[in-house]
Amino acid sequence: MPSLKLPIVGSPGEQPAPARTQWRSLEERERGLETTGEFPPGASEIGGTSRREFVQLLGASMAFAGAAGCFKQPPEQILPYTRPPEEIVPGRPLHYATASTLGGRATGLLITAFEGRATKVEGNPEHPSSLGATGLFEQASILQLYDPNRGSVLQEKNRPRSWREFLAAQNDRANALRAKDGGAGLRFLLEPGSSPLIGELRERIQKLFPNARFRSYSAVSEDAALRGARLAFGSALETRFDLSKARVIACLEADPLYPWPGSIPAMRAWADKREPGPGMNRLYAVECALSVTGMNADHRLRIRPSQLAPNALALAAKLGAGGGALAPLAALGAKSRLDPKQQRFVDALARDLSRAGRQGVVMAGPRSPALVHALAHAINSSLSSEAVRHQKPLLHDAETGAEGLRELAAEIRAGAVDTLVVTAANPVHTAPYELNLAKALDSVPNSIYRGLYQDETSQRCGWFVPATHPLEDWGDARAHDGTVTFLQPLVQPLFNGIAESQVLAAFLAQGDKSPYALLREHWRSARADAEDAWEKWISDGFIQGSASAAESPQLRVDAVAAAALAARFDAAGPALELNVVPDYRLYDGRFANNVWLQETPDPVTKLTWDNAALLSPKTARELGVQTHDAVDLGLHGPPVHAAVLVVPGHADGAVTVALGYGRAGGEQSAAGVGFDVAPLRRTEAPWGDRGLTLTKLGRRHRLAITQEHWSMEGRDPALDMDLHEYEGHGRERIEEGRVPVATMHTPWDYSKVAYKWGMAIDLARCTGCSACMVACQSENNVPVVGKVNVEKSREMHWLRLDRYFSGSEEDPRATTQPMLCVHCETAPCEYVCPVNATVHSDEGLNEMVYNRCIGTRYCSNNCPYKVRRFNFFNYTYDTGDVEKLRMNPDVTVRSRGVMEKCTYCVQRIERARIDSRVQERPIAEKELQTACQQACPAHAIVFGNLHDRSHEVTKKHADDRHYFVLNDVGTRPRTAYLARVRNPNPELT
Amino acid sequence: MSALFKPWTNTAFRVVLFALAVLFGGGLIAGPMIYVRSPLYTQQQDPIDQPVQFDHRHHVGDEGIDCRYCHSSVEKSSFASVPATSVCLNCHSQIWNKSPKLAPVRESFFSDRPIVWNKVNKLPHFVYFNHSIHVKQGVGCVTCHGRIDQMAQVEKWAPLTMGWCLDCHRNPERFLRPREEVISMTFTAGSEKEQLALGERLKAEYHVATRTSCTTCHR
Repeated sequence: MPSLKLPIVGSPGEQPAPARTQWRSLEERERGLETTGEFPPGASEIGGTSRREFVQLLGASMAFAGAAGCFKQPPEQILPYTRPPEEIVPGRPLHYATASTLGGRATGLLITAFEGRATKVEGNPEHPSSLGATGLFEQASILQLYDPNRGSVLQEKNRPRSWREFLAAQNDRANALRAKDGGAGLRFLLEPGSSPLIGELRERIQKLFPNARFRSYSAVSEDAALRGARLAFGSALETRFDLSKARVIACLEADPLYPWPGSIPAMRAWADKREPGPGMNRLYAVECALSVTGMNADHRLRIRPSQLAPNALALAAKLGAGGGALAPLAALGAKSRLDPKQQRFVDALARDLSRAGRQGVVMAGPRSPALVHALAHAINSSLSSEAVRHQKPLLHDAETGAEGLRELAAEIRAGAVDTLVVTAANPVHTAPYELNLAKALDSVPNSIYRGLYQDETSQRCGWFVPATHPLEDWGDARAHDGTVTFLQPLVQPLFNGIAESQVLAAFLAQGDKSPYALLREHWRSARADAEDAWEKWISDGFIQGSASAAESPQLRVDAVAAAALAARFDAAGPALELNVVPDYRLYDGRFANNVWLQETPDPVTKLTWDNAALLSPKTARELGVQTHDAVDLGLHGPPVHAAVLVVPGHADGAVTVALGYGRAGGEQSAAGVGFDVAPLRRTEAPWGDRGLTLTKLGRRHRLAITQEHWSMEGRDPALDMDLHEYEGHGRERIEEGRVPVATMHTPWDYSKVAYKWGMAIDLARCTGCSACMVACQSENNVPVVGKVNVEKSREMHWLRLDRYFSGSEEDPRATTQPMLCVHCETAPCEYVCPVNATVHSDEGLNEMVYNRCIGTRYCSNNCPYKVRRFNFFNYTYDTGDVEKLRMNPDVTVRSRGVMEKCTYCVQRIERARIDSRVQERPIAEKELQTACQQACPAHAIVFGNLHDRSHEVTKKHADDRHYFVLNDVGTRPRTAYLARVRNPNPELT
Repeated sequence: MSALFKPWTNTAFRVVLFALAVLFGGGLIAGPMIYVRSPLYTQQQDPIDQPVQFDHRHHVGDEGIDCRYCHSSVEKSSFASVPATSVCLNCHSQIWNKSPKLAPVRESFFSDRPIVWNKVNKLPHFVYFNHSIHVKQGVGCVTCHGRIDQMAQVEKWAPLTMGWCLDCHRNPERFLRPREEVISMTFTAGSEKEQLALGERLKAEYHVATRTSCTTCHR
């Protein structure tokens, strides 16, 4: 292996190269670094051009580039307002509170709008579900708002219709239905919702049509959790977790460290307790496929999905062995028949939980079976865990799973349904295969689908009603804790969208009312203080103090024990098990046309533009398949054509597939990406089953995986150690990463300038969720390049999330590290630029000047962090007029042939600087945040003025854990990383 | 017959040939550089036709209307902003309200369609200029826009090249004036020496810290 470790003058003695411990992929682990090289193949090649053609093109482009400078600037126009809106000052953005909803729960947002066009999504710092942060889905929702593929025409059987025609047609039909039998033929299939307005409209419709029936459906339902609560407490309850009160956390297929709807507070609370020391929490994960939570766990047990319940039972039995509330379960422990490894894990976890007492908590995920939820409730109740709160279900229909869909399909087949209104997100794509919902929908006489896109479901419905995007909508919803949250529109519907409330109001003969009028009327009648408080509610984005009351249910341990006794735990057979997961990027497929999300690498597998059949290395060897191999997966329905991706840390004998791909709707970017897993799902077993068959096809399907792009030449850039190591020699290891390296340059004197910008990234807090990547893309107008270019490592993300493994391929330890330009004080890129296109600012920023750059790419070659990105093509030339609206006007849109990279959000620095100088004061700490920092749910990124001693970033730069990546090359980065320290259980190490 | 061309002519010929080559080569480089800085390219002093024959001489010179009455966001935002139609009609609903010259203004107001003005001072799209900070630090309108009160049709007065920007960013004291004189079209500190003294004083008083780092303007 060629070592690039050059001797450095004045470096503290000759050190032996550290044994390589970190690896990024199985190939790299087995074969070493030769597989990758500094640049991945294709990174700088142009396809299908001979050398001669290349030189011709080079000459021509030089001549044209020179000539292009001679033309006069084209004339431009100014269009002022005719009557200026009161609050708008041209050039100054405004921020509006609104929310987005997913899974029926609202996340409070603050939207930045320039002269009425929304450009950026941020979290609402006051909102309980956001705390100022956002996840990927919220960040990327702005792209969906301006998506030109959105359905824009109301249609009846592909013929355009007006909203009035729709109202007239539905009104007549509904009246007839009501007169006939009280609306027995009227069915609604809604997106799961918690909106008080929709709740009222539903009640009114129900009164008018007593025999009509409402159902909600989502591919990512939480029915198992509700059934578990019913089992444990006798009533359906939702559970929410306050991890700030938890010291030992056990996740049974739960994934609280990824920003799913409602999980941001959990991420923040977990990260707050990762500072090494006595208050540190400990996280255990029991799961099949490596999840974001699993990557961050202090201990992880990989099991097949079918082994989850036995493990949960064994845990409860072990805890009940000493008496107490769980005593009735103690005798059932033998039923689990765990293998020694699992038993050891469960025993240690049980002891740790009982030691933690009220500070212990067990979390079961939405995909866990009901029994596991019940056992988790039993354990939490017996521990009297402070981290658990129960509340009444927020959703109108507590059950949102496929059972309701099955009933509906049966009713349709029986001819009982005349009018069906669908607002659920694309149920035809996500419904379990055996329901054959598409065919059933065909036979409904009058079917109406309200959706953002003309997708698989709209193809099967008579009427298509274009939906409003949440940022075009007046509405309300409840946050994960029940807080009433308001949605207010940023723009008039761009694509003639109709709100869900309008569609429902159509059946009350009020379809001509605006969503605002409906919302206002609802709250006027619902709350006496609405008249006075309305303005405040809308400007805050939510009603303070409206969270749901906590319930204190009584545990029915005997019922849980009876259910556990009745459960059948079959021994793991030779057959493969299927494990279905919601996708980290596309959720259930509703974001499939969102190219930002498609191109964001999966946080764990680093796969873009595809889903794959994830296999453990051992299982892959047994089956004789490798990554990129095309296979057929068979279970229940017809075979699914998938591509294999071998991943470390996956359970043996199981295959994990993600929802949301293989779309066949009208969305351009979603077409042909990945495979649809619906044929593998059954209503009874939506998240997996036994008996999966995997057949090798002998073909290959190239997956675009970014994990090996940009080699770091054998160094360990992401420090990750156990607490005892940190308290021992670990501190010295970290210190090596920050000893000043001698240099021939006189260090630049920054004492004369007011600001010295710096960043600190705490790896102990970072969960790797990748929200920062999408936030950066949105803030900085970063283009998307597409699958073919990602394969050639031409992705443009200024901020990437590196994911390193260490240890064995079966049970690797995963470390994530956000990597972006570290703004070296002695920046290698600056020395080699022939045209001074990258230079240093007086405040220590490494600046990239697009208008000077001629595209030699020397800077990128010389960058040891590999954070510079080159525009190989003009990725934005075909941006449509509507899409242009989302561009941040403070950032230049780059063209072909230009290098770009992280600027520390210099546009935000300059805006804050000018504002503060006009007001004659220094920039306040809270006023200036980079986009990645603002989005981060775990608060892992801090940015600010290193001259300010009280600033958080200065404190982090003085922290015991801080080090600089590749400190020994002497670049003196301005971004410090704080080493990750884990808190393993001594019993298990 | 002695040689018509003496041996020294060889040298002279070579020198001339070399000089021509240098001049031509230099011209190839220098020519475009001079061209892009000349008013021919920068469109300086090039009166631009507007949809309404708005005369700054009358409004600024005769009536003495404050620049900020119409360009109202100059102290708050990056844009000084062109006034909304309603601002014109604040006065012209009362006076000259039948003037045919104001027909496009009335039409804009009543049809709620903006007047399409032609931009005079254009910057490339990778340049981010901010009016509010310049006005705050005592840069007069006239310093960059010229004697607007004497222009019948507004024209670009300064070249707006990067070198011209840097002239001031490197030596702001040459141009600074008291904040209360920012909109004055006629303010002068007196001689160049007096201006420098005033500029130095104001620079300290207003904490003027002009920057020349690239990202000050290019983001």
